[in-house]
Amino acid sequence: MIDRAIIEAGLFRCRKKALPPDVCRYLMENRKKIPAKKPLNEVRFVVFDTETTGFDLKTDKIISIGAIALTAQRIEVGDSFEVLVRQEKVGDREAVSVHGLLRKDIASGINEISAVTAFLDYIGNSVLVAQHAGFDITMVNRVLWKNFGIRLFNDVVDTASLAKRLEKGPYYNLAHKAGEYRLDNLCERYNIRLHDRHTSAGDAYLTAQLFQRLLAKGKKSGIDTAGSLLMT
Amino acid sequence: MPSNTIVERVAADLSKYPPFDVLDPSVLLDLASCISIHYHEEGEVIFNKGDVLGDASFMVMKGAIRLFDTIDGEEVLVDLCDEGDIFGVRAIFGGSTYVLSAHVAEESLVYEMPIEKIRSLIAANTSLSMFFAGEFAKSMQVMERTLTNAFDQHRVRYNEQSCRSFLEHETLEVKPVTNVITCSPDISVRAAAKIMSDCNIGSILVVSPENHPLGIITDTDLRKKVVAQPGSVNERPVHEIMSSPVYTITGGKTVADMVMLMVKTKLRHFCITEDGTVDSPLQGIISEHDIITSEGNNPAVIMKEIMAADQVEQLKKERDKAENLLQVYIRQDVAVHFISNIITEINDALIVKAITFAIAELEHDGFRRPALPFCWLSLGSEGRKEQLLRTDQDNALLYADPPEGKEEEVHDYFLALGRKVTAMLVETGFEQCPAEVMASNPQWCQPVSVWKKYFSRWIQNPEPKALMHSTIFFDFRPVYGEAVLAMELKRNIFEEIATGRGFLEFFAKNALQNPPPLGFFRNFMVEKSRDHANEFDIKSRAMMPLSDAARVLAYELRVPDYLSTSERFRKLAELMTPERDLCLEAVGAYEFLMRLRVVNGLRLVSSGRYINPENLNKIDRQMLRNVFATIEQVQKTLNLRFQLDYIRD
Repeated sequence: MIDRAIIEAGLFRCRKKALPPDVCRYLMENRKKIPAKKPLNEVRFVVFDTETTGFDLKTDKIISIGAIALTAQRIEVGDSFEVLVRQEKVGDREAVSVHGLLRKDIASGINEISAVTAFLDYIGNSVLVAQHAGFDITMVNRVLWKNFGIRLFNDVVDTASLAKRLEKGPYYNLAHKAGEYRLDNLCERYNIRLHDRHTSAGDAYLTAQLFQRLLAKGKKSGIDTAGSLLMT
Repeated sequence: MPSNTIVERVAADLSKYPPFDVLDPSVLLDLASCISIHYHEEGEVIFNKGDVLGDASFMVMKGAIRLFDTIDGEEVLVDLCDEGDIFGVRAIFGGSTYVLSAHVAEESLVYEMPIEKIRSLIAANTSLSMFFAGEFAKSMQVMERTLTNAFDQHRVRYNEQSCRSFLEHETLEVKPVTNVITCSPDISVRAAAKIMSDCNIGSILVVSPENHPLGIITDTDLRKKVVAQPGSVNERPVHEIMSSPVYTITGGKTVADMVMLMVKTKLRHFCITEDGTVDSPLQGIISEHDIITSEGNNPAVIMKEIMAADQVEQLKKERDKAENLLQVYIRQDVAVHFISNIITEINDALIVKAITFAIAELEHDGFRRPALPFCWLSLGSEGRKEQLLRTDQDNALLYADPPEGKEEEVHDYFLALGRKVTAMLVETGFEQCPAEVMASNPQWCQPVSVWKKYFSRWIQNPEPKALMHSTIFFDFRPVYGEAVLAMELKRNIFEEIATGRGFLEFFAKNALQNPPPLGFFRNFMVEKSRDHANEFDIKSRAMMPLSDAARVLAYELRVPDYLSTSERFRKLAELMTPERDLCLEAVGAYEFLMRLRVVNGLRLVSSGRYINPENLNKIDRQMLRNVFATIEQVQKTLNLRFQLDYIRD
């Protein structure tokens, strides 16, 4: 209901030309939720990952977003997305080296607002998928709220939770053994070769392969519609 | 704009396999950005025969896909695609429906390439169009790709290479010297020496009036038999000191033939006569020098050095050289049976030399050698003449039964000999056998009567340990000493087997304990142990099943010769007519495995036993797959022949 209100408020501002066209199109596309009965084969998923200057939700910033779409069980290489974000402050050296991004790369990126706008345009009303999705969603939402007074309205799947649900059932305590559900461990468990780790696009691609396998696994336990996957 | 990171990753994966390995980077990136990646679980159907053609062709990135035809309700496997294989190319060239079914044999990752894209690439790129046209031609014929077939292709490939890289070597004919200087048997030694010195030659052939070769006089003969002898030999006729008879051959021999001959006979001169015998006119002569100068790196040189060695250190050096030679041969794709013959001759010469050294040392230390015949046996892979790379030594010592009261004294001597020889072999680079199957172990240094008892016990009571010993000891081969003793032992084994009902069945069952891996790389085949995780044990999983089977059959059919596994299968092909084709396939399979192991061993400087499938190229993987099919067939045959399904453990 709150989503609904924010969307309508946003669209109102759109009519006053107070928001960029890409953002308005995103709002229009998200007025309707994906029907629960929609077969998963007809759903477009966008698997994404953000790299940030650190892990503080309040002060750290996005330095890149990578994403790839999965439709009808297929990872579509051509339907992918990657932006580097120019940030004035890139945080401490350590985080920068982990992400494999050099200062000059970050300086060569586009500004934060253009980056998230392009991302909104790319995702439309697809179901978003990410490893430990909460963090990435929050990071993107912060930029959206600050600049446009909106947030992401898409349905979201967290691959770590989905893996846990498929492997252990819905009531397993995830906090108990969190390491088991780190991306590295999941990839190893599902025979996915690690490449380009710690770049947002590389991680998004790995997460997509993981999600693809999880969907195949889920299909066997009857998860074949948007509703059964999203548990709505 | 798609993500560069991801497109580049996919392009890199594509570029590992033909035909994309030769594509321009920009073209490759363009193709990569059109790809859909599909994940399939085992048992899924990608398409069925008769389905309408899809809009993509497929490339397996991981896993395996079975392609099969359905004929009268029966599934006939046509091909099995694994990493890098492309299928479903029919769609590119038109037609309306699939002619084969594609089912997922194991968890697979498949790249789907839009046919429109491939068509436009083909139009612009000749090498791609050739490739896909070839793939299409292949898919047109529903072919049971038999191993024989595949081996033929393999052979053609190697032959082509041979023609390019090897022509100047082994396959080249050795040109004999045709203006041979000869003399009659009656001239004096002095006269013959004068001719040699006048013509500046190292040897002169002695011929009959009909020009048939009678003998040869060389520099060495002159030095040893003339100069070193007291008295006046100079005026004696040459036939008294000539070496006779001479080794005669027909013309047209290649370098490879000559090298083999030289290594085998240990001679330095060969006469070419009209019909290859001493009773026909002389046409020319080939000397060691001619052979050596026609080829740089030469086993005969190594042999010669080994024969001339007077210290163990030299043996090690020569064996190292042999390993270089091996490398050259492997690189040049020389036939494996040729290589193993050469290397075995060299290994044998080393052992012989080590034994000679050891006997001399013992004598020097005051050990009196018993006046008893003895025989040095090589066992296991060296017994089968298959030890290309130096691995553990497996050997034993067999001597005639000593007279009563002398048992201990004799045993002590031969045990001391065994210890000395095995220690020298260690210095030469052949490591100790961890299970101590060596002539230095008192248990394996015994008189004939005890050996007969050992074999008799193993045959009459084939419990697991007996069978394990059998696999090593049944491959014994005499290397030094009285081969008669070894023959006696072998005949005894045949007799024991004939009376010991059931032994062959157990022996055969034992040969089936290592079934070939049915799945393919990564999932099924690789070893589980920590040390060799993700590697494939080529020895126990592929070579042993074949060598075990060959041994069982060779003993069942009483083949008396000391043969290698491929020689055994060749022999079995003659003896078991209904299984002829399978046996010949097994020959090819085993030689392929030997080559693969050597290549791997040389690369890793190891025994080559553990192979990482990721290091194999596509053709080798295809071959390996065919080899597994052959192994499975061989095991089935064994199972049927000995009715093993009825034997319980």
